[in-house]
Amino acid sequence: MTNAVEMRGIRKYFASTDTLAVDGVDLAVAPGEVHALVGENGAGKTTLMSILYGMVSPDEGEILINGKQASIKHPNDAIRSGIGMVHQHFKLVPSFTVAENIMLGVERNTAGFVNARAESNDVRILADAFGLAVDPDQKIEDLPVGMQQRVEILKTLQREAQILILDEPTAVLTPQEVNELYTVIRRLADSGRAVILITHKLLEVKAAADQVTIMRRGKRVGTYPAANLTINEMANQMVGRTVLLEVEKQPAKPGEPVISAKNLLVAATGGVPAVFGVSFEVRSGEILGIAGVSGNGQTELVDAIAGLRPVESGEIHFLNQPITHSSVRERRSAGMAHIPEDRMETGLNLKTTLDENVISTSYHRPPFSRGWRFQFDEVRSFTQRVIDAFQIKSASVSGSVRTLSGGNLQKIVLGRELNGHPKFIIANQPTRGLDVGSIEFVHKTLIAERDAGAAILLVSVELEEIMSLSDRIAVMYEGRITGILDGETASEQEIAILMAGGHLPDSVPMGSPS
Amino acid sequence: MTTIASPTPVAQSRSWMRWLPILIGVIIVIIALAVLPSSLLQSSIRLATPYILGALASLIASRSGVLNLAIEGKMLLGSFVAVATLYRTGLDPSVGVLTATLAGGVLGLVFSLLYLKLRINLVILALAVNLFIENITVFFMRVSFGSFGTLADPSIRGLPSIQLPVIADLPVAGPLLSGYNLVVYFSWIMVIVVAVILYRTQFGRHMRAVGENIGAAESVGINVTRVQIFALTISGMLAGMAGSFLSIGVLSQFVEGMVDGRGWTSIVVSLFAFEKPIPAFFTALFFGFSEASSFYLQSRPEMSLPPDLLLAFPQLVTLGALVAVALRIRGNEILRRRRFVAQFGHELSNLRSGVVVGDVPPPKAIEADTDGSEHS
Amino acid sequence: MSEQTGIRRTLETIGVALLAIFLGLLASSIFVIIAGSNPVDAYQRLFCEGFGAKGCQTFGDLLIQTVVDEDTGESQAVFSLFYGEGGHKLALILERATPLILTALSATVAFKAGMFSIGMDGQFVLGALAAAFLGYWLPNQIYAIAGITDPELAPEGLKTIMHILMPAACLGAAMIVGAFYSWIAGFLKVKLNINVLISTIILNAIAVQFVGYMVNYPLRSDMNNIARTARIDDTAWLIPFNRGLFANADIEWFSGSRLGVGFIIAVIAAILVWYFLYRTTKGYEQRMVNGSPLFARFSGIPSSRAMLRAMLISGALSGIAGAIEVIGVERRIVDGFAGAGSGFDGVLVAILARESIFGILFVAPFFAGLEQGAINFQFGNLPRQLGNIIIAFIILFNSMEYFLRNRIAAIWRKRHVLSSPAAPAPTEASS
Repeated sequence: MTNAVEMRGIRKYFASTDTLAVDGVDLAVAPGEVHALVGENGAGKTTLMSILYGMVSPDEGEILINGKQASIKHPNDAIRSGIGMVHQHFKLVPSFTVAENIMLGVERNTAGFVNARAESNDVRILADAFGLAVDPDQKIEDLPVGMQQRVEILKTLQREAQILILDEPTAVLTPQEVNELYTVIRRLADSGRAVILITHKLLEVKAAADQVTIMRRGKRVGTYPAANLTINEMANQMVGRTVLLEVEKQPAKPGEPVISAKNLLVAATGGVPAVFGVSFEVRSGEILGIAGVSGNGQTELVDAIAGLRPVESGEIHFLNQPITHSSVRERRSAGMAHIPEDRMETGLNLKTTLDENVISTSYHRPPFSRGWRFQFDEVRSFTQRVIDAFQIKSASVSGSVRTLSGGNLQKIVLGRELNGHPKFIIANQPTRGLDVGSIEFVHKTLIAERDAGAAILLVSVELEEIMSLSDRIAVMYEGRITGILDGETASEQEIAILMAGGHLPDSVPMGSPS
Repeated sequence: MTTIASPTPVAQSRSWMRWLPILIGVIIVIIALAVLPSSLLQSSIRLATPYILGALASLIASRSGVLNLAIEGKMLLGSFVAVATLYRTGLDPSVGVLTATLAGGVLGLVFSLLYLKLRINLVILALAVNLFIENITVFFMRVSFGSFGTLADPSIRGLPSIQLPVIADLPVAGPLLSGYNLVVYFSWIMVIVVAVILYRTQFGRHMRAVGENIGAAESVGINVTRVQIFALTISGMLAGMAGSFLSIGVLSQFVEGMVDGRGWTSIVVSLFAFEKPIPAFFTALFFGFSEASSFYLQSRPEMSLPPDLLLAFPQLVTLGALVAVALRIRGNEILRRRRFVAQFGHELSNLRSGVVVGDVPPPKAIEADTDGSEHS
Repeated sequence: MSEQTGIRRTLETIGVALLAIFLGLLASSIFVIIAGSNPVDAYQRLFCEGFGAKGCQTFGDLLIQTVVDEDTGESQAVFSLFYGEGGHKLALILERATPLILTALSATVAFKAGMFSIGMDGQFVLGALAAAFLGYWLPNQIYAIAGITDPELAPEGLKTIMHILMPAACLGAAMIVGAFYSWIAGFLKVKLNINVLISTIILNAIAVQFVGYMVNYPLRSDMNNIARTARIDDTAWLIPFNRGLFANADIEWFSGSRLGVGFIIAVIAAILVWYFLYRTTKGYEQRMVNGSPLFARFSGIPSSRAMLRAMLISGALSGIAGAIEVIGVERRIVDGFAGAGSGFDGVLVAILARESIFGILFVAPFFAGLEQGAINFQFGNLPRQLGNIIIAFIILFNSMEYFLRNRIAAIWRKRHVLSSPAAPAPTEASS
């Protein structure tokens, strides 16, 4: 039987971010098959599907649809080839009705006017044919998310898609809606359609997919029948396997608790809970690592602790002071440092100079300024010290930072954040996208800060990094901490179980659902 | 440098607030009919015309996702072209309306190409276009017609008033609904036409989709650039026609800078009306009334009401409306957050509380995989 | 810590600006031809009248003129830009550039904090109104209190003090009024996320109408055909150089121009604004908010306060501009008065100068010179509006450059990537 989709040797390089997003990937999906495409954020799975849907043009490689070479340069070509895509962020017009959205671009016209009644009818017939009940005349903005997704699926079916791409379809659904979705997916596959499921949730793969292709860092790791692979094995293949030099570190000598969070409730941007009842504390001189597949609430947790996102309920104490609703500046002044996930947008201002970047958190205090006036000698000598201490190459004190490499940029962030030995450091994905040398440097620096008495909260999706640095390891799954393990003795397998939402025997699940 | 790209929050607003302008319009009309002299009402309706057309021009553009800040310039071009055409050809005034409309359309097209193809910053582009038109009209007035300040000639005929059959004979309503020139009637028709285009045709639906969620439009293969070029061209045509009313619909002459901020006001009218044609019509009537009463009061010194303040009044109302809409959006946000805390905070407190995970639990042996299956 | 002016960048910017000016002139020459003139002649006249000395006839004369010494018959080359026999172009240009510099600074301060405020017109007229009112009312109050019936007879000591205090009071009041008016738009943005451009346009219209009302009714001084306020007291007058400081110096430069202390204030303002933006922590905050809002929030920079502060400063600068136009040049407000366009022209100057403080000091006189030159078009067959047409074209070409440069950079990058033997492996990709 010919494959519905075949992608061969796809390669895509993004000049703007200087990343090889997809590196020689092959993918084959048969009709009637549900094919899961899994991998971490940035593994290249979304880019690969954007290529298939004509939104991104590949540098190399070819695409075959039903065995025939296809040239897909635009979503229109994809639609014509029978490909439909349900995006993670729905492409719906909120003020339009269900029927108007489904028929957008393929309107039914009568005498020059849109025939709303005919469109409603069409949609009703379509919905009945696939058993996807919707009210064609309801407005999208009044529908729950699950229903909106159904409209998206109907939109592709209206265009007679034989190949459906679903990008992170369960990310925003309630458990009940998820189950309904699985049924729908199966029904679509049974009708002979090929369904590609982009996800990083491994339970979803087990529940819905026939085949699974695992991607990591732009490369295909392997393709397996979903039934033949345990969740642990999938997790192992997904997460980082970068060979790191063993980080030399002494056993931690934890002191007093520096920061504690109690029963945190934090909303995600869409208004659903992202962090649900998380509690932990970090003591001075120890590193608490937070492991987990990305998108399980780590970002929101870090934002809440750093003061960038409101805490809806629960408390945060820092050095015995309540800081739940303190401003970023108050937290930083008290001795909190934050190495952010996204150094290009959040951690640095690429439009300005190196010195202006290294003082952004302390410019308002002596020695850098007195009153309104900058003390330029101090700023300059401090910047020079950062350049020297962190060996930032090809950088000048008041030179632009735009041209520096990722490793050097991260060193600027470190130089700024670690200035004056903060009492508490949040390190969110501190080595993402760095080369091995820079990774090692960052690791050594963090250990040195720990030994100097800092409490460190390390968030990473790289299991290796978590295991080699952390003194204790907390695992996050769906906004909860599912377990905290000892860094010395925890095994990779244990962490993988917790990451996938499983329980360790006898362990107390933290903040488990009611 | 710019913070302009997204339309103001007004566009997304819903529920009873959207009927408020209509309500205000209706109340004003009723009170006006009862109290005010009919000459004032007539001139209100007449002077609302540029605002009606200008607001339609503005809302068509912003409904398709481009804030058209060059309406002022497009109107002025229309004013000039209408007079220039009639002066040169001596043809029927309606020809002037036609050429003004076309000129506005051409300018709209050029504007859209400069913005969409050359990616000139929208605000800078609009400022430059307005500046250009403001000066090029005077330039040609002098170079081609040798006039200074005002371009007038007996050969330029203004648009004649047209008495509508039947309607003109109605009591009370007759004098109010009849006796205006072509452009006035046309502006009324255009309100309906634009409403029908927006809500009842494929093109209108595409425009609204582009304006509301450009990603949605792109994903179903709508050519966004083409839709926006069309919208800006139509917007330019409406603005050009509005300009022709100012020059040959009132005095049959062109005066330097005669649009005098009405283009900017039109944008505000459309914002006030939540970018909807019918409410825009009533809002424009309100602005027309303000202007007419300002002239009316000016001609009656015994009433001693300063016209400048009267002209500022609609602007103050607009500012108030912007604030009201923004407050409502802010209120909704707070409400949503409160609801979130109420729902999930409650769920949370139902869980076992008080478990601080500070202690290191002893490592546990692993007995089975979560899903229990063993892979070889 | 510097206004990012690498030498290469500066040269590039200047190069692009010159190219834009050239293209602007080229495009405008279509209209010159339509008007039946020769573009080269017209532009020679434009620049000679705008920037050159009296005898200036050709582009060549602009810089150097050959003067024949009548006694010896020898010819001599004389530097003639802005100056020459009976010339006072520079003073005229700087007089007109004064409000432009201030309103352009005003726009720049707002833009640099990410606020697209074009409220300079409103702040300008309100500032002017405040100065016109105080400059007349306050001295009269003082005379009344001091029991002086004829200001001419006021004691010299009092007059000297008032000569210092009155202008200061006018400027201060104008600053406060302008700052407050600008703050309204800032507040609406920060608290309610109302588009600054729209709110400032509305506020402009309100201010202009309000000032129109004040000039026509409460503050109208006489039954002159065109309504106008009373003339400010002499003690509130910022006396022009040719009557004040240099009255006896017989410097031709200032003859006939009303250039005065206002210009010095504008230049000092430019220096202060530059110092504030690039040398103080508060200016730093404002620039960071615009450069990268996320970064500012993450670093703990108080963004809302920075934006509001920027609006206050912006408004104060426009207010000063209005005040100087009244107490330094016009001495009263006439209904629809001449300086009223300065607010909007300042926005154009700021855009042309690409928000560079240094650039404004060059662009504003250029703008003013072009305006002056264009006025003299009228003596040919060309309307002076050609000047603004040229400016509109220059703005268009100057802002097209962003696109062109990005295009070229993108093409270059693409080629660079394709020609490199192998794209780097992902692990090293961003190192």
